[in-house]
Amino acid sequence: MEQVRSHVLVCTGGGCIASGALAVSAAFTQELESHGLADEVNVVETGCLGPCAVGPVALVYPDGVFYQNIQAADVGEIVEEHLLKGRVVPRLISTAPGTEKSVAEMRDVEFFNRQVKIALRNSGLIDPLKIEEYVARDGYLALAKALTEMTPEQVVEEMLASGLRGRGGAGFPTGMKWKFAQQQSSDVKYMLCNADEGDPGAFMDRSVLEGDPHSIIEGMTIGAYAIGAHTGYVYVRAEYPLAVERLQYAIDQARDLGLLGDDIMGSGFSFDLEIRMGSGAFVCGEETALMTSIEGHRGEPRPRPPFPAVKGLWDKPSVLNNVETLATVAPIILHGATWFAATGSEKSKGTKVFALGGAIKHAGLVEVPIGMQLGEIVNDIGGGVPGEGKQLKAVQLGGPSGGCVPSWHLDVPVDYESLQELGAIMGSGGLVIMDEDTCMVDIARFFLEFTQEESCGKCPPCRVGTKRMLEIVDRICDGEGEEGDIERLISLGEQISATALCGLGQTAPNPVLSTIRHFRHEYEAHIRDKHCEAGVCATMYEARCTNACPADVDVPGFVSLVGEKRFDEALKLHRERNPLASICGRVCFHPCESKCQRAGLDGAVAIRGVKRFMTEQETAAQLPSVLVNDENAARKVAVVGAGPSGLSCAYFLARLGYKPTILESEKSAGGMLVQAIPAYRLPREELGREISMIEQMGVTIETGKKLGSDFTLQSLKDDGCEAVFLGVGAPLGAEIGIPGEDGDGVSEALSFLRQYNVDGQMAVGKKVAVIGGGNSAIDAARTALRLGAEQVTILYRRTRAQMPAWGEEILAAEQERIIIQPLVAPVEIVHDAADKLTGVKVRPMVLGDYDRSGRRRPVAGRNPDFVVECDQVIAAIGQSLDTAAIFAGLEVETTAKGWIKADAKSGGTSVEWVFAGGDAATGPASVVAAIGAGERAAVAIDAYLSGANHAFWRRAVEVDTFFDPDADPVELERATVPVITADVRVGSFDEVELSWSAEVAVAEAKRCLRCDFGKSCGAEEVNV
Amino acid sequence: MPVLTIDDTKVEVPEGTTLLQACRQAGAKVPSLCYLEDVQTIGACRVCMVEVEGARTLIASCAAPATDGLVVKTNSPKARKGRQTVVELLLSEHDGNCQTCSRSADCELRALAEDLGIDEIGFEGEKTKKVIDDSTPALVRDSGKCIMCRRCVTVCNDTQGVGGLFPQGRGFTTVIGPAFASDLSEVVCVQCGQCAAVCPVGAITEKDAIEDVWAALDDPSKHVVVQTAPAIRAALGEGFDYEPGTLVTGKMVAALRRLGFDGVFDTNFAADLTIMEEGTELLTRLKKALVDGEEVALPMFTSCSPGWINYMEHYNPDFLPNLSTCKSPQQMFGTLAKTFYAEKLGLKAEDIYVVSVMPCTAKKFECQRPEMSDSGVQDVDVVLTTRELVRMIKQAGIDFRGLPDDAMDRPLGMSTGAADIFANTGGVMEAALRTAYEIVTGKPFPFEDLHVAPIAGLEGVKEASVTIDETVPAWSFLKGATLKVAVAHTLSNAQKVIDRIRSGEAEYHFVEVMTCPGGCIGGGGQPRLTGDAVRKARIAAIYAEDEGRELRKSHENPDVQQLYKEWLGEPLGERSHHLLHTAYTPKERV
Repeated sequence: MEQVRSHVLVCTGGGCIASGALAVSAAFTQELESHGLADEVNVVETGCLGPCAVGPVALVYPDGVFYQNIQAADVGEIVEEHLLKGRVVPRLISTAPGTEKSVAEMRDVEFFNRQVKIALRNSGLIDPLKIEEYVARDGYLALAKALTEMTPEQVVEEMLASGLRGRGGAGFPTGMKWKFAQQQSSDVKYMLCNADEGDPGAFMDRSVLEGDPHSIIEGMTIGAYAIGAHTGYVYVRAEYPLAVERLQYAIDQARDLGLLGDDIMGSGFSFDLEIRMGSGAFVCGEETALMTSIEGHRGEPRPRPPFPAVKGLWDKPSVLNNVETLATVAPIILHGATWFAATGSEKSKGTKVFALGGAIKHAGLVEVPIGMQLGEIVNDIGGGVPGEGKQLKAVQLGGPSGGCVPSWHLDVPVDYESLQELGAIMGSGGLVIMDEDTCMVDIARFFLEFTQEESCGKCPPCRVGTKRMLEIVDRICDGEGEEGDIERLISLGEQISATALCGLGQTAPNPVLSTIRHFRHEYEAHIRDKHCEAGVCATMYEARCTNACPADVDVPGFVSLVGEKRFDEALKLHRERNPLASICGRVCFHPCESKCQRAGLDGAVAIRGVKRFMTEQETAAQLPSVLVNDENAARKVAVVGAGPSGLSCAYFLARLGYKPTILESEKSAGGMLVQAIPAYRLPREELGREISMIEQMGVTIETGKKLGSDFTLQSLKDDGCEAVFLGVGAPLGAEIGIPGEDGDGVSEALSFLRQYNVDGQMAVGKKVAVIGGGNSAIDAARTALRLGAEQVTILYRRTRAQMPAWGEEILAAEQERIIIQPLVAPVEIVHDAADKLTGVKVRPMVLGDYDRSGRRRPVAGRNPDFVVECDQVIAAIGQSLDTAAIFAGLEVETTAKGWIKADAKSGGTSVEWVFAGGDAATGPASVVAAIGAGERAAVAIDAYLSGANHAFWRRAVEVDTFFDPDADPVELERATVPVITADVRVGSFDEVELSWSAEVAVAEAKRCLRCDFGKSCGAEEVNV
Repeated sequence: MPVLTIDDTKVEVPEGTTLLQACRQAGAKVPSLCYLEDVQTIGACRVCMVEVEGARTLIASCAAPATDGLVVKTNSPKARKGRQTVVELLLSEHDGNCQTCSRSADCELRALAEDLGIDEIGFEGEKTKKVIDDSTPALVRDSGKCIMCRRCVTVCNDTQGVGGLFPQGRGFTTVIGPAFASDLSEVVCVQCGQCAAVCPVGAITEKDAIEDVWAALDDPSKHVVVQTAPAIRAALGEGFDYEPGTLVTGKMVAALRRLGFDGVFDTNFAADLTIMEEGTELLTRLKKALVDGEEVALPMFTSCSPGWINYMEHYNPDFLPNLSTCKSPQQMFGTLAKTFYAEKLGLKAEDIYVVSVMPCTAKKFECQRPEMSDSGVQDVDVVLTTRELVRMIKQAGIDFRGLPDDAMDRPLGMSTGAADIFANTGGVMEAALRTAYEIVTGKPFPFEDLHVAPIAGLEGVKEASVTIDETVPAWSFLKGATLKVAVAHTLSNAQKVIDRIRSGEAEYHFVEVMTCPGGCIGGGGQPRLTGDAVRKARIAAIYAEDEGRELRKSHENPDVQQLYKEWLGEPLGERSHHLLHTAYTPKERV
């Protein structure tokens, strides 16, 4: 007897076919043949296995090894290594998320091992063209059971008891639908399958039809038996030719074997079905439109009631179920309602198939128990958002009828009710992941445009109403939004939902309503500030990099000037919007680069590197143009705090002719730049150079002047100050709140850093533990190391990947042998009998449910607490501001989190002559954000004092650099910034980063694609 | 019987009642727009929405069954706001140049906006794309005014079975029109104008010929005569706020005279003439079939309705021989006016200008058919619909309601009651039977009040049979014969009759077909909006006109008799064959 020892299952779902699966399959057959293995190893072409993004994929049984990204050329190696020698080919298997660890067996791959497959039970495992394989996996057993052991009523009861809800979107209980139809007395009834899958990004139904067509036939036949139908139709969109072909093949097979047709299995029950192809109107997925289309008319919905169960296809009682629902029927009948109901949540039983798409690593098809947290689907199964440092913004469920779940609700259990509470829907299972590069207004526009175009045009709310909404959203995206537009959208959207004829129209406003609900601030930014944070709505900016810069620096402008070696002009242009060019050239975490269009080609332009090089070319201080104005010069304006926001505010005030005074509490100017940022990142001479430039412009800096003790806001006013800018930062560290914190050897990161940076000395222990995962923690750790600590450990309660510190900083710390100990929460600072600090007792944590930060919440694990030995502890767990002390009785409003409440656009506070910006108003943010806030406050102060906008630097600037828009970009890797090796740098506070040569810098600058070319927008009317 | 609570009142309604009917029964005047009683209940326009307890959305009451236990609010804030939104949205896409729109006086959308208290259109944006299709002689379509209520689609496809208009495209670019965005002239359109009759706004209208008529009236070299179809007198009054069914024959004549027509005549005269010709034709066909054994086409179909003729030429060319060769009364009149009447006045055909006032838009097409110029020039120069005549009278500043009654001129204004009933379904058949029976039997028509009850009323297809017990010698071969007749109105009903004849399921000798629902009284050119109640009122008026006459049979018309005597000779004689009959040509179906 022929003995097959191994099976190679090659996925031939649509995705894998598109990436070359058929060639892979053919290669397997050929390679096995040539190695004489054709009789021992079978090649099976299966339906979709799910992980489409890494296709073509294959499974080798009996080992259960999962291969991904296979090309035909790889097949020889798999045959020789795996099938001949029994060795897995490591380069073609997957790795565990966040590690480099290879995972060979499918049951260990996270994409698979959290799934529970009921509807997709056979997809990827059987050859869809072989009914024998379906039968071998219990196929048609459920039908036999229903026909021979159950009455139609019992079948309906079983379905009711299972709690299965329609998987097409609305979630109506399937058993109930069947029951209504069963109760109708009519000789003719119809059993229908909705395979008109049309949501953008959804391909669940297609995969079932292609991968396991008999499951649909069996489900429909059982349904037909239950309701008393003898004819069925499967309505498939014609865009699914493979699905149609495989389903037709399966129908013919079933008919040949007597599983369809007259007297099925000798039971006396007759049922047959036909395929009807739809030509791709989205509305034909709506049940009444689908029936109208089968009847041969233009696919338009009709009003309900009467419902199809009463009056459906050709006015006869009809049941329409979607593909996934029908694929779930047979297992329920076979294994029973109780078995099915054991999976899922309390109100929603069973599993749901989702098509993961968009900004996600493992795009593909998954089936999970209903009620699984959204975060688990997205991050654990889907692998999260790809791309360096890109943040998840929202998950769109339910396609054009659905809504968005924002990242702070990743804890939502994916079930019908919970999603609805958030304004989203389960939908048919399209799950589109959106990262920070997605504009929520634009995405609403996309879906609305889709439904508007797909509206059948029958009822005015859908035909005209969605058009009116689209016109408003279009306007907002084009920078022409008006006050009241948001309210108009909500009101019209609600009216459309209440008045449209069918589900398509009733749900068409959902994408808009749900994005307004969760991302109203983006709509407001578009309307009021003409700003698209994600950099998508292209009419509002000239280039995405500039759009992303909180200080609005003309990035392509200065970069292209560097490219022409016009360094002085470049620097001057930079300082039009940001005076602290040299500082930012070193410490800015460059939001511009993450929006660089060149990233899609060969890496983002190293803008910060270009900037740093540019500032290094400054021989004499480049003073900006200034409006000389004696009247302004005579007015008293004070800036409190010489940090980046205060310096920036004073600089721009000076450009408008004012002579402001900065009052700084510490001994030297610079704020966090000098107090917290270590010199190895920002050499003090660089800082001094730019501060002195500002002083040269007529700004007076008085150090050692502390708000609250040396002066108050009121005293400033009494001294004739007409306006005050508060740029006081967030200078206080937060307490951990655990026993032992007040004891010896414990300090807080900001004080620790300040003490060293300002006083020039600070004692450190031999073993230092830093608590926290942010930038301050890294700064403190790296500073402690440089001050002589032998071992520095960062204790962080979440995972390394969840650390809020910038990736490059974490990496640099690790290179310097700083130990990062993730998933531990400090519970006690341990001191010995002599009150000497001996360690930190920590509790090992594991990741629990998702929290509002969009990350899994760390919760205490099962392992016992342990002590991390150390003799010094630095706590870096947060910053705060003592607003009571700085206001000293003046009533200035604060935010819920204790920051100064200031208008983002003007810095205006609740007291008209007091302005604020930077960390003090926003909480700890970036240097460049503080600089931008300083500029806006300066303009607002001037407008407050003069009644007009004089910000002449905001006018459009023409940069006359050469650019040939027709030339193709020359591929060139992004230049890296050279650094001192870790071994050398830990010995001193010398700057870690080194300079580029002019060749490197100019070449890097020339990599800029000049997205701004030929565009001109956003310039302001200025009264100068 | 279901019991519902509507606006806090319990209402019991018969099974099968719609929610809209139930609401109206309960005294709630729920507005509607796309709804057309017995014709269209598709819930498309959403104007008739009411709030139903437990329903997630508002419910279009026209399409919802009134089921037991429903609790309905017709005037809740939600329902009011919903309706208002919907109508505002319609207004926002609609090319609403009401000041100059011919529909402004009876525009249903404008009235709705007023009823719903819309004093401002809250939405701005793109308007429906405006394309004017005036490619046909009868109709003008203005897509900019179309609000896509689909009434025209339903009457064209379902009532008439013509299929000239469809919804096409999707979303905001959805349009209602002929296939492939063609002009109406490029597809099969029988020009019946039922689309224009049901259009709630000015998106489909008759092609206005008023200026042509003014020009002729103002031209001193022209002798301008007018004929009015039988159906006009029972509907014209509605244009001057008379109740439907008010006969205004005398005022109509007076008004026409004041408009300046040189002769005010009656299509009824030609209708009586038609009976003479058509009756003779039928008897001749029967004789050929029964006595001479010749192959003749039977049953014979009436040929007065030009939409029907168009329909047959396009859809049933194999049945063209069955159509009576008689011209329609309008065209017989036109020919006579430019021959017989011209001769009498000593004028040339081209000096006479014939204006018809018809309930029908297809007549505009008919008069332009190349066959219709037996006088040497186009026999009928221009056709006005009832609606146009209303407008013309208003333009002339005539106080219609204050007019005295006036009488038609002779000889072409003389008619019998048989001609009156040409206006409604069953009328031509009854008129023919009145004459044929008496000619064949020599005995008075034996039906009570001269009405053949089985073929009266608004049933779609009606049948009757008349047995001939005795005959005058000339028609002895008909002795004992039973004449089977059928009457159909609307083209879809006519097609049903043809299908049954074709399949052998039914056998008739004579079939009357009128294109429009209810016959000409429900024609595409009549005052809007014509529902069954209006049709019944107009028919009652027509019957009253008939019953009030001294002469009620066409062969008794003295002026017709005189015409045969002094000019035509005899029915189907050479002159009448030349002037009063025509032939049909198969036409392509696009």
